[in-house]
Amino acid sequence: MKITRRDFLKKTATGVALAGVSAGLPVNVFANEKTIKIGMNIPMTGDYAPWGLPGLYGCEIIANDINAAGGVRIGNTDYKIEMISFDHAYDTEKTIQGYKKLVLEDGVKMVMMLGGSTVSSILPWAQRKKMLTTTLLPSDITPKSEYLIATCESHPLYNVTGVEWLAENFPDAKTAVIVTNNDVEWGLQSASTYKAAFEVAGIKVVDVNLHGFDVTDFAPIVSSVLAKKPDIFCMATSFYTTPLMEQLYHQGFKGKIISCTLDYYNEVIAKTSKEFVNGTIFQFPDFNDPALLQEGIHFPDPNGFDAKFRKDHPNDWSAVAWEYPAILLNWIEGAKAAGSIEPTEVLKTLKSNKKPNFVFGGGRWWGSKLWGLDNAIVGRWPVVVIEDGKARIKEFRSLTGWLDKNSDVLIKHMKALGLHTV
Amino acid sequence: MELILQSIINGLIQGGFFALFAVGLVLIFGVMGVVNFAHGELVMVGAYTVWLLHAQNGIPFIPVILIAIILVTVIGLLMERFLFRPTCNDPLAGLICSIGILFILQVLATVVGGDGPSKQVPPPYQGTLILFDFLRVPYQRVFSFFVSAAGLGTLWYFLTRTKLGWALRAVALDREASALQGININRISMIAIGVGGALAGLAGALMAPLTNINPHMGHNVIITAFIVTIVGGVGSLSGAVIAAVIYALFHTFITVYFGGVIATICGLLLMVVVLIIKPTGIMGVRVSE
Repeated sequence: MKITRRDFLKKTATGVALAGVSAGLPVNVFANEKTIKIGMNIPMTGDYAPWGLPGLYGCEIIANDINAAGGVRIGNTDYKIEMISFDHAYDTEKTIQGYKKLVLEDGVKMVMMLGGSTVSSILPWAQRKKMLTTTLLPSDITPKSEYLIATCESHPLYNVTGVEWLAENFPDAKTAVIVTNNDVEWGLQSASTYKAAFEVAGIKVVDVNLHGFDVTDFAPIVSSVLAKKPDIFCMATSFYTTPLMEQLYHQGFKGKIISCTLDYYNEVIAKTSKEFVNGTIFQFPDFNDPALLQEGIHFPDPNGFDAKFRKDHPNDWSAVAWEYPAILLNWIEGAKAAGSIEPTEVLKTLKSNKKPNFVFGGGRWWGSKLWGLDNAIVGRWPVVVIEDGKARIKEFRSLTGWLDKNSDVLIKHMKALGLHTV
Repeated sequence: MELILQSIINGLIQGGFFALFAVGLVLIFGVMGVVNFAHGELVMVGAYTVWLLHAQNGIPFIPVILIAIILVTVIGLLMERFLFRPTCNDPLAGLICSIGILFILQVLATVVGGDGPSKQVPPPYQGTLILFDFLRVPYQRVFSFFVSAAGLGTLWYFLTRTKLGWALRAVALDREASALQGININRISMIAIGVGGALAGLAGALMAPLTNINPHMGHNVIITAFIVTIVGGVGSLSGAVIAAVIYALFHTFITVYFGGVIATICGLLLMVVVLIIKPTGIMGVRVSE
């Protein structure tokens, strides 16, 4: 057969084009695998971004690992995990828009959220749609929020473990001051928990200083509370831990410092000194901590996860970096047990487990005493202390034990600060 | 007594910052009649410059302060030439333009700095000055206070001892009369916004190691600047400086004795009370129609 130059060029071009197209196609098209879409309606820009964006990065690491290993088998089907995010910038109108987009357009099977007013804004619609939604703030739970669960962070209840540890290890510390932002979602919830924990531990709170979000200079606030000569300076859940620590350093505070979070503590060290920051107690570990390798931790290869995260996003690690992934893993376990990815089935299976998996172990469903529904998993929680400039887990403590004994004290302090309880 | 003295020092240092950015706002309003809503963002640009060049790239702090001043001055000059001058006959248009710039600068800051947490700048001057065994002032704040004072002193010299300064004050008093005397209004407007921008850049650069840096930090700055401007007397430079110190001390003492939230409310109440009792402010003068 005679091949003309034109035929040769035509066929070659067709072959190259076909090769190019097939090379560009994703592998999963050929494998005909199904995909589960998991939504994240979180702040990725603005002031709250540190408590959203690192969580997305963490979930992508987990999803990529699962997908690379062939996906997850639920029922008789293999699924790949796809994370779909929406940036609501902690704005309630954007949150509603994003939530509806994730549910109606993207068809996600669960929506992970940070919590607070953004969760309240979508709650009625989420309930009607029976869409499984998670929060990091169990205080969002109401007696009717059946589809809202908190399976990882039980903010701010776990703070009591830090106070217990402090009281046991530093029995001479007898007075405390609390300085935090004056908001219902973070500061006041946390302040009431710390007040309860201090009372139970026999530590007297000599001053509570609540400030707005417009503070540019923390010197007067710190001067004011240090004039009370406290043994303990508590920052509760503050958005301003760095400037507060800086002022404590410059104003010569020598006592114990305790806080819910100490995100970006390297920056605090850079602004003060390693010696000063050493000994600070808080609640959120780095995941390269050797203590996370012990039995009972429900998180696959925490140290490897930490290394991957810091390699890809060297400056973005925050408290939520592992929390959203832990929620994702918890959902996968629930879906596997249910043999279904449908929200109602997964929720039913998760709730029917009386000893649910919890990232640090020892979990159980809890919450009706405070919020009217047992929709939060509480369990062991780490007490973290800065040692030689690094966050290190000193101990895991039972949160459930404290709550069983002292819920009434907590409710008393919550009511005193005007917070909602059942 | 210790707390009172410590609070006075804290208040005076804070007053230095307030004065720097409030004076710039007053200058621009006085000369051009524009309420520059983007003034807080000019301060933010100064702070971001320090974060980017000093904290991220290791360029020494003092040259970076100068770069911040120059950069913010240039932004101010561009705003004057391309936004405020074409809209000089319509104060509302100038105001809207400044709001537009506000958003543009915030977005640019996000592009440059990325999302995520507020930026932090380790203080170039570490350590704490201890006076009488009980007064403690970080060296960084001492430095900032003296540089603020020097900046304001230079401005005072410029306005009272140079022909250009006299021309600037003349335009602030009466544009038409100044034009009739042969003063080039456009040139003076450029100088006013240039000086205002330079002061904002300086304030931002000095604040950078002492505060959380984020694209929205200008919001608090502009509210404070408005309070100071109104209390001091709109258009009065000396009034702005006096009001800055009074407001800073007032805010500091309320914070110390009654808490931060009460201090914010009282600060705004102070402005309302001044508007009711002495609408011209401390140093402002009533202008007859």
